[in-house]
Amino acid sequence: MSIIQVQNLVKSYKKGFIPKKQTVLKGVSFTLQPSTITGFLGGNGAGKTTTMKCILGLAFPDSGQINYFNGQSLTSETKSRIGFLPERPYFYDYLTGEEFLKFYGDISGKFKKRLDLKQRIDFLLKKVDLYDSKNKTLREYSKGMLQKIGIAQALVHRPEFIVLDEPMAGLDPDGRYYLSELINETAREGTAIFFSSHLLYDTEKLCENLVILKDGVVIFEGKTEQLISKMNSQLKITYQKAGAKNIEMVKAGAELTIKLSALLKEKFEILSVEPELISLEQAFISMAMKGAKS
Amino acid sequence: MNVILLIARNTFREIIRDRILYGLIVFALGLVGVSLVLGQLTFSEQARISANFGFTGAHISAVFLAIFVGSTLVSKEIDKKTILTILVRPLTRVQFLIGKSLGLAAVITVVITGLAGVMLLIFNGLGLEVTYLFLVGLYGIFLESFLLLGLSLFFSSFSRPIMVVCFTGGVFLIGHWLGDLKFFASKSESEFFMGFANIINIIFPNLEKFNWRSLFLYNDDIFITEILSASIYSLAWFSFLVTLTALVLRRKDFG
Repeated sequence: MSIIQVQNLVKSYKKGFIPKKQTVLKGVSFTLQPSTITGFLGGNGAGKTTTMKCILGLAFPDSGQINYFNGQSLTSETKSRIGFLPERPYFYDYLTGEEFLKFYGDISGKFKKRLDLKQRIDFLLKKVDLYDSKNKTLREYSKGMLQKIGIAQALVHRPEFIVLDEPMAGLDPDGRYYLSELINETAREGTAIFFSSHLLYDTEKLCENLVILKDGVVIFEGKTEQLISKMNSQLKITYQKAGAKNIEMVKAGAELTIKLSALLKEKFEILSVEPELISLEQAFISMAMKGAKS
Repeated sequence: MNVILLIARNTFREIIRDRILYGLIVFALGLVGVSLVLGQLTFSEQARISANFGFTGAHISAVFLAIFVGSTLVSKEIDKKTILTILVRPLTRVQFLIGKSLGLAAVITVVITGLAGVMLLIFNGLGLEVTYLFLVGLYGIFLESFLLLGLSLFFSSFSRPIMVVCFTGGVFLIGHWLGDLKFFASKSESEFFMGFANIINIIFPNLEKFNWRSLFLYNDDIFITEILSASIYSLAWFSFLVTLTALVLRRKDFG
């Protein structure tokens, strides 16, 4: 059972006065499972937002296939089961917070009874700490408040799959904490969450799975701990010669033996050999620089 | 509620809460007010001048809304990226387009109706008898602005708002000159000019078909068939233009 299955997605854009083809996605494939939180990482221009837009039907891939909810295509029915928060959200600022959620709740077609929607809106407004601001228009909201109401609109119709593009951006530490809690709670209720972020500390805490994109290609897909432990398999050798200290990272095993032999042969003094415990941030940077396919 | 009506209601709310609308209404009411002052300078022409200015105010307001607000109706959603959260919901791009159009058409109707109410009060004060031709004149304004709205939507699917205003404004002018062009072509001996005039007549909408504003002033009658055919003409043009717009937007990437 998969929530989303992306297969060999290729997408290019034509840019410039004399249109020049630029391939953004070069065969992206990955699968998302139900009730999981998956972080979608990659540098600027790696193709994260384009991939998300292809999944949501906002952009059309040149080739490849996306299957939704166990092999279905994107229809009105499947759309009603998806929620989305775009990066730097701009909303209808002439609406009040309550009107805004009501509009998105109505348009989802999920609420047959007016009272159900009203209760859902009140619940979400309290959840994102905006209940007291529900009658203010969105143009009176701060950036953080807009991010929160954006999350609420993505959740209003109780979707089974949510795409969040940089949901933590613009939030203060408190806001990020409450959002993390909300994301965890939503996943526990059975919703699959797919989100991109540049805040790797939050991603590491939240995501059990990761998809890492580099230059339009998936370079890692798997468990977060798998990536970190894979990177932790490296050893840090500190050595010196004539007072000049050097540090080098090597993998345990043959690579370590060869490196140590070479250093001793060249009369370097080995100061220490120790395992390197790294964070997701370091693992990501290391992987992004190498571009190694898992 | 149907998704088209939800989009229409939201669009209606958006425009109603926009300051530009009130500026426009003040302008139109000002025009009606000026007619009352000007009427004092004439002898027994007060009612005619008031009616003339009233219709002009309603016409300008409706055309302004169709062209200027219509030009940013969809492009504003694209620029502000509000379209992203809408199109991921269970509705099609065509439904979105029709909903937006209906919302603006509703605003135009409300503005025309409001100005008509003010005109009726003035006519009542002036003792002018109001016949059904008054409504026919206003209905013609609505049909014309509906067609212009279709043009604005179509042009906005591939160009910037300033260009949309230029293009739609250009078609508006040409559309009102088609009758004159046809007349001059019929008097011309140049086959090229006659052919050119024929082509222009086919590819541009004839907006003079909806000009019934003088009927009320001169108490000229109109056949119901003429009103029906003009209604079909406006609706056909609007449907054609929305279909073209939908075709352009159908495979457009947003983001």
